[in-house]
Amino acid sequence: MENTIDNIRAQMRKGLLDYCILSILGKHEAYASSLIEELKAAGMIVVEGTLYPLLIRQKNQGLLDYRWEESTQGPPRKYYVLSDKGREQLAQMDAAWQEIIESVNTLKRI
Amino acid sequence: MKKVFNISLASRSFTLEEDAYNRLSEYLEHFRTRLAASSGVPYTQNAEVMEDLESRIAELFAQEVGTNGRVVKLELVERVTRQLGMPDGAPESPEAGPAPTPGNTPVQKKIYRDYDNRRIAGVCAGLAIYLDIDVVLARVLMLVTLVAGLAGFWIYVICWIAIPEALTPTQKCEMYGLPVTAENLARFAQSTK
Repeated sequence: MENTIDNIRAQMRKGLLDYCILSILGKHEAYASSLIEELKAAGMIVVEGTLYPLLIRQKNQGLLDYRWEESTQGPPRKYYVLSDKGREQLAQMDAAWQEIIESVNTLKRI
Repeated sequence: MKKVFNISLASRSFTLEEDAYNRLSEYLEHFRTRLAASSGVPYTQNAEVMEDLESRIAELFAQEVGTNGRVVKLELVERVTRQLGMPDGAPESPEAGPAPTPGNTPVQKKIYRDYDNRRIAGVCAGLAIYLDIDVVLARVLMLVTLVAGLAGFWIYVICWIAIPEALTPTQKCEMYGLPVTAENLARFAQSTK
């Protein structure tokens, strides 16, 4: 099957999406569509629909917070920010990610 | 001339043409169903996800049509729904595929009796569509086998019993090998009236 590699790639991205969202929000707060743009530009998501359930889940886990901000055109928009708990988790994920990279590289060298 | 619907999406008002409105309702329904089916999200969170999704749709619509009374057309809804996709990243409806060019991508044909163009039970008309031959040719062949020793009679009776007739618009799409999209369904829905 030729789409197996696509499948694997999709699985990898999916697993890392949580981490990516937290990473972006660790740099700056963002509203959903700018999050989407960054993730899309980096090639992490193909369709946007995958993101919304994740955001809400992370928010309900207490990793994210949001506040409403007035916008120049249209109704107020949701700005997502990282909570303290989210910041903690991000630090742990950073460490885990480094570990994984090192593990894979070590395995490849052997 | 087309009928329009006024809707409110994330407290913004939009005017949608009828087919665009139908497509959008269908999409939101699909999204909600898929969301409920995916295990990661408890049911209570779904309303919030739908809220976020709707406000994103409103944002994308507003970018296109602005606020000066332009209507949202089907083409825009198709584009937006393609961009948004499903919560699990899979195609919206597995049997129709992601529908990159709706109405043009051939899908697997299914055999049905074409009841709308029937002479007796629509067997020949259905076979003609399935095999992509002329209906007249199918009928002539059937008659020839009928005259030459009654085989045609039994073939016809067996086909009549074995092949279901295409009654619903979905079945008609399958009969012609068209993807089951809102557009195609509407086409057959009108032709049956």
